[in-house]
Amino acid sequence: MKLKEIADKLGLESLTPVPDHEVEGVYISDMISDVIANAKAGNLLVTVQVHANAIAAANLVDLCAIIVAQGKRPADDVLKMAAKARIAVFSTALNRWQVATKLYEAGLR
Amino acid sequence: MNQEAAPRYELANVTPGFVIIEKEMNTRATRAYFSAESVPPKESYREGTGVWHFAEAAQSFQFSVRDNLNGEVTRFDEVLGLLYYGCLEPGSPLYQIGEIAHAVGVSLYVAIAYESAEGKPLELAAAKMTMLNRAFNDRLRTRGKKVLIVPDLFGLYRQVSHGQLMLDFGLTDLPSESESGKAKSAKEKTR
Repeated sequence: MKLKEIADKLGLESLTPVPDHEVEGVYISDMISDVIANAKAGNLLVTVQVHANAIAAANLVDLCAIIVAQGKRPADDVLKMAAKARIAVFSTALNRWQVATKLYEAGLR
Repeated sequence: MNQEAAPRYELANVTPGFVIIEKEMNTRATRAYFSAESVPPKESYREGTGVWHFAEAAQSFQFSVRDNLNGEVTRFDEVLGLLYYGCLEPGSPLYQIGEIAHAVGVSLYVAIAYESAEGKPLELAAAKMTMLNRAFNDRLRTRGKKVLIVPDLFGLYRQVSHGQLMLDFGLTDLPSESESGKAKSAKEKTR
């Protein structure tokens, strides 16, 4: 499923340009070390983490996008870093559980 | 069936734990070590003439890299964390090198090592750096994307804060609801 399709289905607010990436699975974590150790390339990360290190980790393991839950928003410099790395960042007021449920309903496994 | 080939190198024996930062009372020296205990050790202790006190802890992990060609497993206990060039000061030489690399699709990271008892960073041999680069590059799927992890030839281990390393230092200090609210109102005003 394409990122844009997911963003539309979940009503996500895009904070960066959205590349035409195919999403290959979901990883939910707020721990940078956990993301580096266990997330897979092409995964969509659901987190409340807004630190620049989240982008650095996402770039290292080739995640396609980050959904920041619970209405959190990364700072502008962090978003700039994400855009440069071609990692889409979305914001939503939903919590992580709600996001996970909606992603499942949308057909992501 | 389209089955992906297994990568030559991959992370193995991932052990969750903590990076513990401790400080020595008299000399004010600081050092870090990895603890695989389930609770970060916080007891002070005497070593020679020094007394070391717990200062800070961050969740982290230790790992090995397995060569799937021969089954050989190499430990990377020296690695404290990785530093992304984008987290450095934009004017710094390494940031500028990172920008040049970025322009050709290469993301630059520096492997920061733990310090030895003599206060020098543990050495990451060239062969291990090659293996580390292979392990992370073998995970990538985006066409044309590359990661370059270089050893800390720049003495960054003394210059960077732990918050700049890709560890979980201070990352649980999320902005409060009121701060998030402020950011939201500021954004709404700009619309």
